Amino acid sequence: MAEEETAAMAPGKAPKKLIENGIRNDGRKPEDLRNLKITVGVLKKAAGSALIEWGKNRIMAGVYGPREVFPKHNMNPNKAIINCRYAMVPFSSLEEHGRFGPNRRAIEIGKVGKHVFENAILTEQFPKTMIDINIDVLQSDGGTRVAGIVAAALALVDAGIPMRDIPCGVSVGKVDGTLVADLDKTEDNLGQSDMPVIFSPRTWDILLLQMDGMLTKKEVMDGIDLARIATQRVHEMQVAALEAKYGAAAAGDDDSQDESAA
Amino acid sequence: MEKQLILPGALAATTPRRMDGCYVDDGKTFVSVVSLKAGDKIIPLKGHYVPRIGDYIIGIISEERFSGYEVDINAPFPSTISARDIRETFQVGDVVSAKVRMVDEVHTAQLVEPRKLFAGRLIEIESVKVPRVIGRNGSMLALIKEYTGSDVFVGKNGRIYVKNGDIALSVMALLKISSEAHTSGLTDRIKELLEVESKKSPQNHVAPRPAVQERPPAGMY
Amino acid sequence: MITNEVKEAFVLDLMKKNTRVDSRGMLDYRQISVQKEVYENCEGSAMAQIGDTKVIAGLKLDVATPFGDRPTQGVIMFNAEFSPVAHPDFTAGPPDERSIELARVVDRGIRSAECIDLDKLYMEEGKVLGVFIDLFIIDHNGNLTDAAYLASMAALRTAKMPKYEDGKLIREERTAPLPVARDVVSCTFEKVGDKILLDAREEEEVSSSGRVTLATCGDDLLCASQKSGRAGFSRAEFESMIDTALAKRKELLKYI
Repeated sequence: MAEEETAAMAPGKAPKKLIENGIRNDGRKPEDLRNLKITVGVLKKAAGSALIEWGKNRIMAGVYGPREVFPKHNMNPNKAIINCRYAMVPFSSLEEHGRFGPNRRAIEIGKVGKHVFENAILTEQFPKTMIDINIDVLQSDGGTRVAGIVAAALALVDAGIPMRDIPCGVSVGKVDGTLVADLDKTEDNLGQSDMPVIFSPRTWDILLLQMDGMLTKKEVMDGIDLARIATQRVHEMQVAALEAKYGAAAAGDDDSQDESAA
Repeated sequence: MEKQLILPGALAATTPRRMDGCYVDDGKTFVSVVSLKAGDKIIPLKGHYVPRIGDYIIGIISEERFSGYEVDINAPFPSTISARDIRETFQVGDVVSAKVRMVDEVHTAQLVEPRKLFAGRLIEIESVKVPRVIGRNGSMLALIKEYTGSDVFVGKNGRIYVKNGDIALSVMALLKISSEAHTSGLTDRIKELLEVESKKSPQNHVAPRPAVQERPPAGMY
Repeated sequence: MITNEVKEAFVLDLMKKNTRVDSRGMLDYRQISVQKEVYENCEGSAMAQIGDTKVIAGLKLDVATPFGDRPTQGVIMFNAEFSPVAHPDFTAGPPDERSIELARVVDRGIRSAECIDLDKLYMEEGKVLGVFIDLFIIDHNGNLTDAAYLASMAALRTAKMPKYEDGKLIREERTAPLPVARDVVSCTFEKVGDKILLDAREEEEVSSSGRVTLATCGDDLLCASQKSGRAGFSRAEFESMIDTALAKRKELLKYI
């Protein structure tokens, strides 16, 4: 999805070639990902947090809760409610100065992000509570919504919130007539189509799929398959990030209190 | 035993089983929080305290009602002490130890046998680390008590009340256990810390960075 | 008022019997009608009705300043207002996430399909035409998205461009129709229980665990997708929804 409302005006009018001899502008092959690094537990106060550095993207995700619902009338007596706030900071884009807080685009992304986590979190374990997920884009470089959700998923794990799975995904799209994975900002703005996808890697159910630009049925289905292959690699990075924080525990001896004595 | 880190969504058992930090889907059991797998056993490394009948917990009186008291028990759910069950009165902010008598379907706990705790220091750790603080057959707690002479009340909900003796050193040791739980040789390192620090005067203890935000004792806020 | 829980129990029970509240097939639309040119003051308008759902699209043209990075192209903008009259849940006030999502999903399909040749909206240096489409929901009985697409397309198809003179629009003199290149329609699916159904009524929407909207702009061309709701969809489910959306396209085009 085009990151700026203005830049989304007319997809499909690329002034220069974005792919030559099967190689993209930044030297990647169509299925390659940009550099990706995720760090878990970067904030002290938040119950869970993660920082994702993906291409030039720098996105911070932080989680609070489960905690008392505010405002109270939003309370659900059967499960926790999920709030998901996505916002870009004013200095995050290469273009003009933005504003603090979510704009219309950000509100929509927050809504579809919330639905992803409503699927993943075992909300029925925490009735009458709320879980707050904050995704702040510090620097944007295309594909911020998937990057934000990938980071937020780890922040939730870091917060110890029970989850069915760790949602993960990538953006795919059509650039110069070729299906590519992990579009950067230029490809996003000048390519013909963009399709961010989030999966549940345990079942490979699709939890989020948005699309703009024009694609045939075959292209959409091939796009889903390409996204799945690329998502597997992103998921490996998610696992590595969690192992970096929690892996040491596996090496420890176990002289804790016995179950029976508890 | 060989231990392995497993993450939410990973298979814990091919049969449906009720285990801490797990859920059942499609007749199989999966992990829902970061955990260690040792054989058949799943040890959650993360989690929120969910009250169970019979748990001894440490609460803070948060509200006074005609029907009794509302108590903060370090859980995302409220809990209460019924006025019918007690003779003494409490004030908002009092720290009490209590036993969970009943838990309803939305995890609201009813507490009994409240006893006011005072003249000590309250700290909070993650509730999943409580078994480490206690140690096998209470060995870790015994170790701390031996060196510091403190009385240490450990609530299942991750709140610990330390009274008498060298409180500062006890707290230092407890927070170290919390931040280094599940690493190897922990008992030895705690013993070494107690050995070294107990020879200094209490003012000279260098507290390690607490893993979890410490709360001031009741009445101080 | 019957609560959502009661509606849900009823609908899920029907699903198990493989039937719907109005005994339609799972992939059938309710009766559709689109009234064009319902208002005279705006440059284009239409009201789409799907069953008891009513959505009005009003199209206004204004002289606008082009975006800096596209100085020779007109602008297009969608907004949606959920009038408090349309549903007891709708309240007056700033747009909530549902109305923002609706406007953006309709915008996504129509923009992606390049329905309007934005180059033809260039008037002079620094001046272009802006196309403002406002979606006004007056009766919400399910499937607002498909109704909003139908109303928007009908409004675009019937819109007339006013005469442009000295940087102003002379609204009384309408000349050429708005240059519209192709038609976009959408199909919105809801997952209720383990079934996927098309054109959900309101009680089916409150029972739904997930929604997918697919917009098409040609016989084998999709131009927008939106998945919302907590449910996951498998690859096979997506494929069959795409097939349905492409097959239903002809039926929907009749109303524009």
